[in-house]
Amino acid sequence: MKRSIGAAAGAFLLALSLFPSPAFPLLYIDINAPGGKRMPIAVADVVVGPGDPSLSRGIPKILSNDLALTDLFDLVPPTAHIETVTAAHFSGKPLSFPGWKMIGAEAVVIGKVEARGDRLSIEMRLYDATQGTLMVGKRYTGTPGQVRSIVHRFANEIVYTFTGVRGVFGTEIAFTARSGKSRGKELYIVGMDGQDLRKVTDNRSFNLFPRWSPDGQWLAYTSFRTGTPIVYLRNVSTGAEKEVVRFGGSKAPGGFSPDGVWLYAGVSQAGNSDIYRVRVVGGAVEKVEGGWGLEVSPSPSPDGRRIAFVSDRGGSPQIYVKTIGVAGETRISNGASYATSPSWSPAGDRIAYAARSGGRFIVETVAPDGSDPREVATATDGDCEDPSFSPDGRSLVYTYRKMDYSALKIISSDGRRQRTLVSGLGDVGSPAWSPGR
Amino acid sequence: MKRTISWKWAVLALSVAALMSVGCAKKQTVKSEGAQAPSAAAAVEAPVKEAPPAPVAVAPAMPPAVAPGVAVTEEKISQFDDVRFDFDKSEVKEDGRKTCGVVAGYLMKHPQAKMLIEGHCDERGTAEYNMALGERRATAVMTYLVSLGVPKAALSTVSFGKEKPLDPGHNEEAWAKNRRAHFVLK
Repeated sequence: MKRSIGAAAGAFLLALSLFPSPAFPLLYIDINAPGGKRMPIAVADVVVGPGDPSLSRGIPKILSNDLALTDLFDLVPPTAHIETVTAAHFSGKPLSFPGWKMIGAEAVVIGKVEARGDRLSIEMRLYDATQGTLMVGKRYTGTPGQVRSIVHRFANEIVYTFTGVRGVFGTEIAFTARSGKSRGKELYIVGMDGQDLRKVTDNRSFNLFPRWSPDGQWLAYTSFRTGTPIVYLRNVSTGAEKEVVRFGGSKAPGGFSPDGVWLYAGVSQAGNSDIYRVRVVGGAVEKVEGGWGLEVSPSPSPDGRRIAFVSDRGGSPQIYVKTIGVAGETRISNGASYATSPSWSPAGDRIAYAARSGGRFIVETVAPDGSDPREVATATDGDCEDPSFSPDGRSLVYTYRKMDYSALKIISSDGRRQRTLVSGLGDVGSPAWSPGR
Repeated sequence: MKRTISWKWAVLALSVAALMSVGCAKKQTVKSEGAQAPSAAAAVEAPVKEAPPAPVAVAPAMPPAVAPGVAVTEEKISQFDDVRFDFDKSEVKEDGRKTCGVVAGYLMKHPQAKMLIEGHCDERGTAEYNMALGERRATAVMTYLVSLGVPKAALSTVSFGKEKPLDPGHNEEAWAKNRRAHFVLK
């Protein structure tokens, strides 16, 4: 959709102005237009109603940082702002939109915080500066500790308003890293904005392969804390755990079915790893895919009907796709001597994996039938591995390694924009992006 | 991608919008999300639908040296050589067979002994695949020991994949050392 409104659309424009929530916004960002114009947006200072003025601190920064993480917006610097937002702007006084337009802002965000006891009320509004209309407004209540997640929610509203696709602010990435002097690996979680890094396990053994449940409440992972590997489900909020895969030797969860009923995992028996699925409740086990080769890393499709997985049945590890319960599979990795760690995109249209090419690992994506391969993340001096899609499918998180240095990086799925999410921890790996919030 | 807005329509829209924002700002607008305010403890449907499982104690946060035996992350000293493997392979090669012969001799002389065979990999490739490959290596050694007459009951395997490198280097010399089966008397 183009951001052009001709005279013929005038009547429509008028009609929209009469309704509180337009069916779609007048300002619109086409996320499928590479290199499209970015939306110039101003995030004004936040007004504090009754309450400590320091409550507002950080809100414009969190919001601006979120918006800057997309390639959708140009932020008009606060030094250029021409109007001080006051409480009156929340009770009928219009912003001076021509002024905001003059400094280049096509959209303006204002916010107000009120403290009521230990609860906060946060109101956020997004205006179209050209039309002077409210595009979206929300009032949230919560505790001071929830300010960050509230702001992320409104950032998601802003992205949704402009693109029709919900943003991924407030989502998190689980991963593994060596911890301190122990040679063990622990699970960690970090916000997609790189904030709120925290350690999830602390048992000084190997804790590996974190995978999110579809509701984002649980992590499946393999721990060696008893000396032998067991797959556990861990409640991310409470830390409660339960064993979910005990049989077999080596084992690694690959992903949940979209309904959360099954956990797919690669499990070795008699030295040979096959793909199984285990009922999260009850523990019933079904073999999904096997054979003489090593089969690992099952990634269920978003509709739950297929899995992508790794098998070395052809002589080297490659990616295959099969329909669950139907014999036969299709190899989808081509041209790589070694291809592992498939990750299905949320829309189901692409599968990412790590491929060894010219002695280095790169992250590629292909269509589920193996056609249309595209390189996404490459490095001339290191390896790019372990891709995992964001819930909106617009980005991937992956591991970058070069000798002793390792980092988690986030790259747009077209490979155009990249940033470092986590560095400075030892031997990071196995990033898994949480579902949408 | 240019935006063209007919001037008079823009003026009309602006004036209507201005009227709206003055006249019905309250009605127009802000939706309260109080009821859905995010909460860390929000009751979202979880895949585990039975009663919440009792928290399993996470292993005590004590230094590995204090834990009984040797921590899983520590390299356990072995009187036997490692069996080494080629990249992405699990065949027991000639020198590995010699080592296995020594191990088999020891186990048959000491029928009470229990041997754990650890499978390890070099750092290249994904952790999951290497975890399975380490298991296949350990099992290949176990199978060979059984073929030499060692009772299977005396043997067990565990794979550490690429998590426990013997040599932390990033070159072929280190990788060759790390692709191994390691013997630990239990």
